Amino acid sequence: MTSYTAPLRDMRFALYELADFATVTALPGCGEVTQGLVDPILEAGGVFCAEVLAPINRSGDEEGCHFENGVVRTPAGFREAYAAFCRDGWPALHADPAYGGQGLPKTVSLMFEEMICSANLSFGMYPGLSHGAYEALRAHGTPDLQQLYLPKLVSGEWSGTMCLTEPQCGTDLGLLRTRAEPAEDGSFRVTGTKIFISAGEHDLTGNILHLVLARLPGAPAGVRGISLFLVPKFVPAEDGRPGVRNAVAAGAIEHKMGIKASSTCVMNFDGAQGWIVGQPHRGLTAMFTMMNAARLSVGIQGLGVAEVSYQNAVAYARDRLQGRALGGVARPDLPADPILVHPDVRRMLLTMRAGVEGCRALGVRVAVAQDIAMSHADADVRAEADDYVALMTPIVKAYFTDMGWEATVLGMQVLGGHGYIREHGMEQFVRDARIAQIYEGTNGIQALDLVGRKMSAHAGRYLRRFFHPVSAYIEAKQGQPALAEFVDPLAKAFVRLQQATAALAAKGIADPFEAGAAASDYLRLFALVALAQLWAEAAEISVGKTEDFYRAKLATARFFMAKILPQSSSLFSTIMAGGGSLKEFEDGLF
Amino acid sequence: MTKGGVVKTIGVIGAGVMGAGIAAQAANAGLGVVLLDIVPGAAARAIATMARAEPAAFMHSRAARLITPGDLGADIGKLAACDWIIDAIVERPDAKRALYAQLQAVRKPGSIVSSNTSTIKLATLTEGLGADFAADFLISHFFNPPRYMRLLELVAGPTTRPDAVEAVRACCDVQLGKTVIDCRDTPGFIANRIGSLWAGMAVRHAIDLGLTVEEADAVMGRPLGIPRTGIFGLMDLVGIDLGPHVAKSLLASLPANDAYCRLYREEPLVARMIAEGRIGRKGKGGFYSRAPDKSRLSIDLATGEYRKQREARLASLETRKPADLADHPDIGGRYARAVLLDTLGYAASLVPEIAGDIASVDAAMRLGYNWKYGPFELIDQLGAGWLARALAADGRAVPGLLALVGDRPFYRVDSGKLQAFGVDGAYKDVPRADGVLLLEDIKRAGKPLARNAGASLWDIGDGVACLEFHTKMNALDQDVLAMVGRAVGMGAKGAFKALVIYNDGEQFSVGANIGIALFAANIAAWGDIEGAIAAGQQAMLALRNAPFPVVGAPAGMALGGGCEVLLHCAAVVASAETYIGLVEVGVGLVPGWGGCATMLARWSAAPRLPRGPMPAMSKVFEIISTAQVSKSAAEARELLLLRDSDGISMNRDRLLADARARALAMVADYAPPPSAKLRLPGPTGATALRMAVDGFVAMGRATAYDAVVGSELAVVLSGGDTDHTVEIDEDAVRTLERAAFMALLKKPGTLARIEHMLENGRPLRN
Repeated sequence: MTSYTAPLRDMRFALYELADFATVTALPGCGEVTQGLVDPILEAGGVFCAEVLAPINRSGDEEGCHFENGVVRTPAGFREAYAAFCRDGWPALHADPAYGGQGLPKTVSLMFEEMICSANLSFGMYPGLSHGAYEALRAHGTPDLQQLYLPKLVSGEWSGTMCLTEPQCGTDLGLLRTRAEPAEDGSFRVTGTKIFISAGEHDLTGNILHLVLARLPGAPAGVRGISLFLVPKFVPAEDGRPGVRNAVAAGAIEHKMGIKASSTCVMNFDGAQGWIVGQPHRGLTAMFTMMNAARLSVGIQGLGVAEVSYQNAVAYARDRLQGRALGGVARPDLPADPILVHPDVRRMLLTMRAGVEGCRALGVRVAVAQDIAMSHADADVRAEADDYVALMTPIVKAYFTDMGWEATVLGMQVLGGHGYIREHGMEQFVRDARIAQIYEGTNGIQALDLVGRKMSAHAGRYLRRFFHPVSAYIEAKQGQPALAEFVDPLAKAFVRLQQATAALAAKGIADPFEAGAAASDYLRLFALVALAQLWAEAAEISVGKTEDFYRAKLATARFFMAKILPQSSSLFSTIMAGGGSLKEFEDGLF
Repeated sequence: MTKGGVVKTIGVIGAGVMGAGIAAQAANAGLGVVLLDIVPGAAARAIATMARAEPAAFMHSRAARLITPGDLGADIGKLAACDWIIDAIVERPDAKRALYAQLQAVRKPGSIVSSNTSTIKLATLTEGLGADFAADFLISHFFNPPRYMRLLELVAGPTTRPDAVEAVRACCDVQLGKTVIDCRDTPGFIANRIGSLWAGMAVRHAIDLGLTVEEADAVMGRPLGIPRTGIFGLMDLVGIDLGPHVAKSLLASLPANDAYCRLYREEPLVARMIAEGRIGRKGKGGFYSRAPDKSRLSIDLATGEYRKQREARLASLETRKPADLADHPDIGGRYARAVLLDTLGYAASLVPEIAGDIASVDAAMRLGYNWKYGPFELIDQLGAGWLARALAADGRAVPGLLALVGDRPFYRVDSGKLQAFGVDGAYKDVPRADGVLLLEDIKRAGKPLARNAGASLWDIGDGVACLEFHTKMNALDQDVLAMVGRAVGMGAKGAFKALVIYNDGEQFSVGANIGIALFAANIAAWGDIEGAIAAGQQAMLALRNAPFPVVGAPAGMALGGGCEVLLHCAAVVASAETYIGLVEVGVGLVPGWGGCATMLARWSAAPRLPRGPMPAMSKVFEIISTAQVSKSAAEARELLLLRDSDGISMNRDRLLADARARALAMVADYAPPPSAKLRLPGPTGATALRMAVDGFVAMGRATAYDAVVGSELAVVLSGGDTDHTVEIDEDAVRTLERAAFMALLKKPGTLARIEHMLENGRPLRN
């Protein structure tokens, strides 16, 4: 049986000490968002996740969702938990007060998202999808649609979905076939089959709002001919309550490796009534406006699962007695030493810890930029923040979820054979974490996004938002003896990243295959440098402080610089080796 | 280099757009010109109009003074001094013949008379004027605008004196800078005969197939390049009313069974536009126009009404090769195929009727209609056999020449020489005039002495090498700089005795590759950038200090780093159409490859300035801070971007040979120029310049960021921490250039300017 305690101290460190929280507070509408307001919310969130969501995580995994005659039943306890979730107002955290939201910035809600993902990733899928639908409607829906649907999404009374994938089209949405025919009343009739639809059908809410990508008659082929439609499960009646059942139904649910309590459906649209959201043929653009937020959230899933796996691995390593420390007996009072004394166990735990804390810090930094991009008063500042978010989004999504998967595997390994036993719960984290590397754009696609689009955009302007601050930081801090052990490795890794970037930009123009072949390694190198800067900053804050928290921070920073960051060297070699060995292997020999 | 020929003074009669333009170009060549018009005062007014024309008709303000205006009635006697008299009056045979009869009374013996008629046959013009006149008469057909269009169609009559033909040919070629194409005496000669049919078909098929003007122009413009503007863009540019004039004349003079007469159709839309004064850019808009709110409009070909301009999106536009385009099944492909079948089939049927060889036809269409490829070059891309079969499949006659060539190409390369298919069925070398040296011929015939991705080094004969840039827009990057270094090294070891820097590109060089610089700046690769500037300075100094003469031979734009290359050459022979400038401030930078240092040295030594350290600095600051670009080689001399000793070649095709001759003339006893010593005012000078810029900012004539850039430039040009009592080496200015360049490149204002230039092709005014 696993346990979970929200890492509030480190969250506060990331929010108030490492991030520029004052900037967030200074944003229009965020004047009240002070530490005094945020701390109690996070504390309450931690309690809710630990006491309500965590206890039904393993049972939900064991039971899974049930599908009968088009109806999906969530596992025991989910309905009650969801009702409590709504009753406490959690769905409204990061939503517009105009629709009943609490108007908290993404920076804050992200911390709560992480807690949900630690406590119960499956459960988190339902409100997560609803929030995505909320963002799309809020950005692109007509005022009528917004008035009708947004308050229900914000309260959690109704939930939402994102219907993109079809049997023949996943990553390549240009192949999409679902069609939408205009009806006389100005609405549309949507027909087609969508697969892998999370929260497509369930018993948690009174209505489900599907956001569906489909083609209008005569639409151009490819991604430029896709429009976005809102298709409610029940068409709201005059009084706003769920009315007529629409012609959309789940045909089946998928049997998955993990997140089993999340209902993943095949959705059949059979002339279902829908309303267009945004401009005709501009559906992908509408979807992409929330892509950055969605990808950041998926990154946080990796972080959340890694955190809970770490907590439980540490607890086990303290208790489990096996063998003696290599340097001599550590606990003569016990029949054997706790496995925490063994170097390889320490390596695993510190790797997890450094990954989790570093990613948390980076996640907050990107979330701050998202908040600035959304609501800063100065358009230039908004644009710069937007560049940074665009650049860092694929890095957060891919690196965090890779880290999440690797950390949960390590967490399971710390438990040895017991980690492999279902009752201990560690293998569920591994299975749950795995999907985050795949959906919302596979990590390979994220890497291509980084080298193909983000790197070259505006002759590298997005890159400036990262490289200039890091360069300035190194310039400012180099030569300070107390920081040398952090800043010097950062400076070295940064030069590697610069060289790799310049080489890749030059090669990529001549031969896109070369850029593609290096993409995943490059993304990882980039992420390591971003984390290294945050670790250097964290160390700078912690130097000379005596509290355990700071001593641990400084020690983790040292571990990162000594044991994780050197990967940048091998990644650099891999990148510079080029794509020849990938290209030359004949297709027939696979 | 302008050489003296038989023709020293030219008379032009008729001060319309063509006559005045021809007069202006003759003046540009330094010839004396008499310009007469039948309307009193019209010639003088035309000269004034030419002086304001955009694009400029005169290469230099002084050129206008070489033209003597007059009234035909009162001043016809002034033509007595002219070696060559050009008729550019109204296109009426009777009026022209009456004029010629008048000329017979005044012109000097041995003088030549030619007509600029575009459609009237020579035989018609000489009717009844006697053998003496006919011996001195020919047709010289210029294209509009005469300064810029390189084609000259020349038609000699059966009795025209050969020496008269050669005198006009030489004058047009060497002095006026034209490519002279011999034509047969047929209506419309070459370019208008084919071009007029093409234009008619391009309009007709667009309307019949239901393309938008944007789609039609994109199909003609992008994959085919005949011309880049497309058909409707071209008609707006030259005037929509021009086409029907030419058509009327052709219809009147061509036999009824000529394909032109069979395919021609009057377009009601075009007639209506002309009637409403919507004749293009010189009228109230044309196929394209602007709404009162300045938004772009274009015409709906079906209704004739304006609507918002929309981007052409056709799958066929993704094709790169004409053959793929013509085979594409969509509306763009069908359009291209229809227009190409008509146009190329017609062109193939006209040889040898209108010209003796296909190369003349191709050259005429390239130079007279700005086609990227001539009709026979296009046929080769499609395949002659393909065209013949397509015509046959369409039930049309296959032209004899097309049948004769079969599946072979019209052009081939044999033993390194370009050959064209002749009407006799044999391939013959494409001839080049004496004094014409084309790099493309040298490249066809051999391998480079050295080559990398950005530049190549060629042996152009007589022991002279040619350094050719071949990057996109001939932007200068690390490869180009490396080749500069390599060339100097090879020359120093005796691989050649002189170097010419020349390329066939439309632009000599648009300067340093700012895309690479911006990317490097974006990733904070400051060390690399500093290294690159230093390397650039070293490469420029290597050119200047080379132990053999280096001659720059630019044509088109030579901007920024491209200009700095020329500033470091021992001599320059520039095409007359060279546009030079240090434009770095447009992207928020200062010249960093010795441009500041060299310009200071030149202006400090200029006798036309008052003495003292301030005037030279101020003049250079004025030139660089406003990014002045010369509108001709002649104007570049005014700015000292070229020296008085630098040469100018009127004919682009003669540029390389002229530059080679210049280089060879310098070989004996060559010594590189010494480094210049400068006296600069230091901080007081910088302050003065800054105050001037602040004044411009206050007046709204400069932007806030102009002041930032200007301030850095002021430090460089004032010599940094110096004063006028000290003599400093020009290399000290190079050090300041590097520092200012780096300081600016770290500023967001500069990065925004570079990004804007890359993405929009014009400067950001931040």
